[in-house]
Amino acid sequence: MSVHGSTTDHVDAARADTVVDRSTVSRVGARPHLFRYIGQLFTYRHFVLFDARARVAGSSTNDSLGRLWMVLNPILNGATYFLVFGILLGTGRGIENFIGYLIIGVFMFRYTTSAVTSGSKSIVGNRAVIRAFSFPRATLPIAVNVRELLSNVPTFVMMFILILMIPPAEDISWTWLLFFPVLALQFIMNLGLSLFLARMVARWNDVTHLIAFGTRAWLYISAVFFSVERFEDTPLLIGLMHANPMFCVLDITRDALLYGGVGDPGRWLVLGGWALGSLVIGGIVFWQAEETYGRAQ
Amino acid sequence: MTVPSDITSTDHDLGPDGGSQDLSSAPTVVIDRAGLTYTVRTLTAPASGSPKRRWLKGLRASRMSRVEALRPLSLVIHHGESVGVIGTNGSGKSTLMNMITGRLRPTTGTIHATSTPIMLGVNAALVRTASGNDNITLGCLAMGMTPAQVEAKRPSIVELSGLAGKLHLPLRSYSSGMASRLQFAIATSVDPEILIIDEALNTGDAQFRDRTRARIDELREQAGCVFLVSHSLNTIKTMCTRVVWIEQGELIMDGPPAKVTANYRKYTKLLSEGLKDEAAEFRAMRQKSLRLTTVTWT
Repeated sequence: MSVHGSTTDHVDAARADTVVDRSTVSRVGARPHLFRYIGQLFTYRHFVLFDARARVAGSSTNDSLGRLWMVLNPILNGATYFLVFGILLGTGRGIENFIGYLIIGVFMFRYTTSAVTSGSKSIVGNRAVIRAFSFPRATLPIAVNVRELLSNVPTFVMMFILILMIPPAEDISWTWLLFFPVLALQFIMNLGLSLFLARMVARWNDVTHLIAFGTRAWLYISAVFFSVERFEDTPLLIGLMHANPMFCVLDITRDALLYGGVGDPGRWLVLGGWALGSLVIGGIVFWQAEETYGRAQ
Repeated sequence: MTVPSDITSTDHDLGPDGGSQDLSSAPTVVIDRAGLTYTVRTLTAPASGSPKRRWLKGLRASRMSRVEALRPLSLVIHHGESVGVIGTNGSGKSTLMNMITGRLRPTTGTIHATSTPIMLGVNAALVRTASGNDNITLGCLAMGMTPAQVEAKRPSIVELSGLAGKLHLPLRSYSSGMASRLQFAIATSVDPEILIIDEALNTGDAQFRDRTRARIDELREQAGCVFLVSHSLNTIKTMCTRVVWIEQGELIMDGPPAKVTANYRKYTKLLSEGLKDEAAEFRAMRQKSLRLTTVTWT
């Protein structure tokens, strides 16, 4: 390498002070504008779907009963609640078809619990993938939520079968179709919460402990195994109940599947508001920290 | 201390290739005073403070420590350059490479590039419960390919990994060597403009090593700009047109391979002889003659 001679100093000076045209380069790993980010997420839809499917298939291969646990788990849970609340404590008194009431509560609530819990861990649990490839990180919480939706399909089918079989057996009516819009709103709400919590857990791992506690507390205040009518004398509690999106999910589903109703319009409004609000807020909160997710804690 | 004259022949470090490099061409990677300081939780029991404070800290069983992984440094890399990165373990090489790929955001300064740099490493970025085939699809989709492109690439990935016939098995049944082969085959299925190659790639049996070497050479020829992190100074000398030496989070030298590697070899020799002070002195001397790059934006 011959760099000696009169040009050397000139060359070196050119290297030492480099003029760069800002338009030719872009900052590496830069977080795109929110709308471009959403566009990017759309181009990664195949990744989201494939990731969700691959993980559903592989999720329970460690257990010899495999995916059967997706159904056995809520049934065993429901049986426990029935024993404790229905028979020992008698909270089911006065509720028409308490078993159906309980089954819907347990099965539907379980879906949100597992979706939000695994969604909140979607960043910390995938740090290796995040460090290996650059892709919009929001695909991970989305994929987890799609996975939870797919893996809960057998659970929901089991829920219908139990409602149809266990006396007093219900009949299928057109109001059963309302299950789908409720599930869609529930999915959106879960996704919004997952996005929000995924950022929190990525920043402070301690939040996972609070989430475990929070979902448990939420379960107890969402009228899963008791009727909200027991608070009839306390308008404040009733008001809080009606503002609780999970109570809205359960109330509309029970009305549609057990009692042949279409759900109170107020419940639909509250649930829709929570779903949309959490998706917008969770999405923005998640996107703001896009560049930090590869960092080790 | 005496330093052989062949490694101090010039007063300050020169750019690789000297005048042969077209310096008026647009830079590919611009590192502008980028540095990284981070805080980590440590488990060490605090030794200071009142007993009450100590008890409280002991309860948390962790405290925060600040680590300066990389002091702010500037580098401008042009199209066609192959940059070797050397330094002892823990010097900050990997931190710099992670910052160039955009996975770590510098806490000060910025890093710009003409396109997203791709890093080939050994981290097992794969889903352990999914099959080898599914991992190929996942990895390729994560790199932004369409499903059609994935299918087009699949045969060459399978061939490079040498795992045909085992790809229906879940990844957790693979040995670590097999998993890293698969990872390598997936990661190299794209032809990046800016490529970062981590030294630890050359693991595995001889047969795979040859295939890896061939594929890296192929990629290197196609890429506009390559960073090679390696402890093998011979590899660096044969493959690179410029070498950057980083030590204890600081840029020590930046110049032609022969000269920088000679200085580095001298430094490591001093270290292995236990002459820590002499080594530090030597390092400081080399660093002093380093001419810092400044970046002016237009």
